[in-house]
Amino acid sequence: MNELLILLSRYGYLIIFANLFLESVGLPIPAAPILVAAGAAAAFGSLKISTVLTIALTACVLGDFLLYLAGRYTGWAILGFLCRLSVSPETCILRSAESFYKRGRLTLVLSKFLPGINTMAPPMAGSMNMRLAEFLGLDLLAASLYISLFVGLGFFFSHLVSAIADGIASVRHVFYWSLLLGLVVYSIYRLRNYWKGRLYRYVARVSVRDLAAKLASREGAARALVADTRSHGYYDRGAMRIRGSVRLDPNAILEEMSRLPREKEIYLYCT
Amino acid sequence: MAHILSQNGFDARVVVGGFSAWQRAGYPIEPVPQEDVVLLPRFR
Repeated sequence: MNELLILLSRYGYLIIFANLFLESVGLPIPAAPILVAAGAAAAFGSLKISTVLTIALTACVLGDFLLYLAGRYTGWAILGFLCRLSVSPETCILRSAESFYKRGRLTLVLSKFLPGINTMAPPMAGSMNMRLAEFLGLDLLAASLYISLFVGLGFFFSHLVSAIADGIASVRHVFYWSLLLGLVVYSIYRLRNYWKGRLYRYVARVSVRDLAAKLASREGAARALVADTRSHGYYDRGAMRIRGSVRLDPNAILEEMSRLPREKEIYLYCT
Repeated sequence: MAHILSQNGFDARVVVGGFSAWQRAGYPIEPVPQEDVVLLPRFR
């Protein structure tokens, strides 16, 4: 604990700002432990509580504001990126949007305490055109609740934080082995996905020039079906597609297959 | 998707570069029909 306090007393404000900002923009770096430690450090006199709160709030609101702007000016794109780990990214976006629209203001206030929602809420507010002043007000309230809670826990229970930190230090080797095990499991998971995915490299491909040449001839065009496999996320107002193509819902491929003509060559494209 | 279609007997191919390559090459495009457009709800 002494080492942590020394670290925080030297670089505490920078660590707090960086941690809060990176968590706000979506990186999986939880800020709660640092906030608790900062509260404890303030209780021990290493940091000034008012400065901790100010810097933490600034970093948090700044990160959320950047995501709000990203949502405002990219629409679906940032939400699709954030939902990419979902089984069905399109469903993730649509359901999140519906839920946010109904409970948007309350969701924003509580978002910091809800894993996943804390990153989705600001760009969603931007995509759905929430007024900037309203967003900033709600976000400031949310950040204040979140930061105050954890800094307060650290400040008022600093003696417990010290005991917990000492306990963690004594079983450090368990933590390192757990981390190593986690890395090994994750690596195996990625290798497995890579091995399974190699099948998809062996699919027939066609260049846009060859496709255009085929579609330019009557016989070629009659034998071809060009299918747009982009999800709804790319269908903003004014969206365009290859002329004559039809939409093929990637989330309903098994159902769509029954309607596809087997005698035709099917050309699939996405973004 | 191409792999799934191929496994089910379809002659499926993937367009290299997708829509962006088609558009950059200057080949014909058209607006997406309104019935395919799904918009997010908006606060105002």
